[in-house]
Amino acid sequence: MPAPAIEVEDLVKVFSPRGRAPVRAVDGLSFSVAEGSIFGLLGPNGAGKTTTLRILTTLARATSGRATVAAFDVAAAPLEVRRRIAVVIQEQAADLLLSARDNLVAFARFHGLGRATLRRRVDDVLERFGLNEYAGRKVQDLSGGYRRRVQVAKIFMVDTPVVFLDEFSTGMDPILKRSVMAQLTAEASRGRTIVLTTQVLSEAEELCDDILIVNHGRQVARGDVNTLKLLQQGVYEVTMTFEHLPEGIEQELAALAPLRLSITGTTVEMAVKEPESRVLALVSQLSERGRVLRLEVGSATLEDIFIELTSPQPRTENREREPGTGNRDQGTGGTQ
Amino acid sequence: MTPLAAILAREGRIRATNLLFIFWDVLYPLGYLLVFGVGMNHAMRFPAGSPMEDYNAFFLAAVLGMASFGIASNTAWSFFLDRDNGIFYEMLTYPISRSQYLLGKVLFNIGVALVQAAVTIVLAAWLLDVRIRWDLTPLTAAAVVVGTAGWFFFYAIFALAIRRNDAFNTVTSIFYFVFLFASSMFYPLDPLPAIFRAVAYANPITWQVDVLRYGTTGLGDPALLPIETAAFALFTAASFAGALIALRQQT
Repeated sequence: MPAPAIEVEDLVKVFSPRGRAPVRAVDGLSFSVAEGSIFGLLGPNGAGKTTTLRILTTLARATSGRATVAAFDVAAAPLEVRRRIAVVIQEQAADLLLSARDNLVAFARFHGLGRATLRRRVDDVLERFGLNEYAGRKVQDLSGGYRRRVQVAKIFMVDTPVVFLDEFSTGMDPILKRSVMAQLTAEASRGRTIVLTTQVLSEAEELCDDILIVNHGRQVARGDVNTLKLLQQGVYEVTMTFEHLPEGIEQELAALAPLRLSITGTTVEMAVKEPESRVLALVSQLSERGRVLRLEVGSATLEDIFIELTSPQPRTENREREPGTGNRDQGTGGTQ
Repeated sequence: MTPLAAILAREGRIRATNLLFIFWDVLYPLGYLLVFGVGMNHAMRFPAGSPMEDYNAFFLAAVLGMASFGIASNTAWSFFLDRDNGIFYEMLTYPISRSQYLLGKVLFNIGVALVQAAVTIVLAAWLLDVRIRWDLTPLTAAAVVVGTAGWFFFYAIFALAIRRNDAFNTVTSIFYFVFLFASSMFYPLDPLPAIFRAVAYANPITWQVDVLRYGTTGLGDPALLPIETAAFALFTAASFAGALIALRQQT
């Protein structure tokens, strides 16, 4: 079994803002990431994802605990770590006064790329990211989406064994996003380890081999998408399109406290955590309220799992435990 | 390419995108010499034997010191540009140490300061008949190099610690006034009131300008130079340490 590309042990980061109570942004997180895998770090805003990434990329120091990237300790050997990583930070980051091409070249130079390789690779990356037409333009003259392209394109200029992406798809159009996702999968199959955070859960569902859901700096659940879905067995997605939306249906459904409920036009979408028989009864009951044009009942999506695990509602409290414990679990989560 | 070379290449590329950068750093200080210096030289009648008998010669070191000071402050200001662009934090994940980052950032600008000094000295000799001590050129070059680095590290402490551009500009304006006028830049210190003189002798720009003045024209007290040189070297080392701490605290 290959050595893990990243190992994190009991990581803690406490921020102590002046005049305010200390905040434990990361609170005893432990996990490892297998080499060549795509690892997703998910959680709601303020869950501690970016802080964890900042520690792993040597941008922040942990208050306690230990983390290694490519076998180097991030606190003791930060330069060795930086030699082995490429990072897309959450904020937009580009040399605005330089052209798109010069941004890529400057990045590659820092990573010590030779002139011949650099020249060959820059043309290839510009092509792959649809930047050829804009190669000579200063980045300050490009739109936000293109600036993000330049930023993400940089990681494809180098061969660092580990890549970190903090919400990489922000501002990207769907076509480019799909292309980048395919490229990330290809990079992982070449042996590069990809660590990403995202708020777009369908991205994580499609890309990640391994997912860690965090909340309040702590692990909430861990596993691949299927494992996480098993962890949340009993959550169903119901989609119903009525000919005419029945009157008062929104209030009725809200009273059932679904995990998620949205009504768009005459279509009702909801996620419920109920026994199968109860869900079918509910569907049958709803279908009596009006003519149904379309009906779908499916298993939970990653988004449902995410909401269920990180929601502050009373019914989802006390879920910050190791998967595999507690009566809701199916005994398959938590692969650490 | 080594990390330092990569930073140098990046800085050079950025400077090359706008010739105004070159104007401010290389040619603007010359204006002081050719306007203020020449004006003072003609308007004031300094007694024979005074260090200011030839004000152009006296003022030349001030222009070199002012250029070092200005280039250093502009370089430190570029941290704000990098921060606004987001590239600052991304660069902190590049395979360079924090000290290489600081040194790389100033190295290119030391080059600019040396070009500026060469242009100014040659024009002073050619247009204003300032008698240059060419034999002391290495001393002048060293004073420009260490001076620019020292002031950059000093300003970097503030640029890194202060998050607001306008606050940093206020600090640099105050420094400009205090450091430049309470020093030996514009006038000799001997005739000044004791308190003023004490402040000026505690001012690192006095140490740098005195070395530059001796290096360019031979004016000044050679006995004082080793002390001033050592003091400025200490100031540079302390500022470098301070800037390094400030940079590490960014993370």
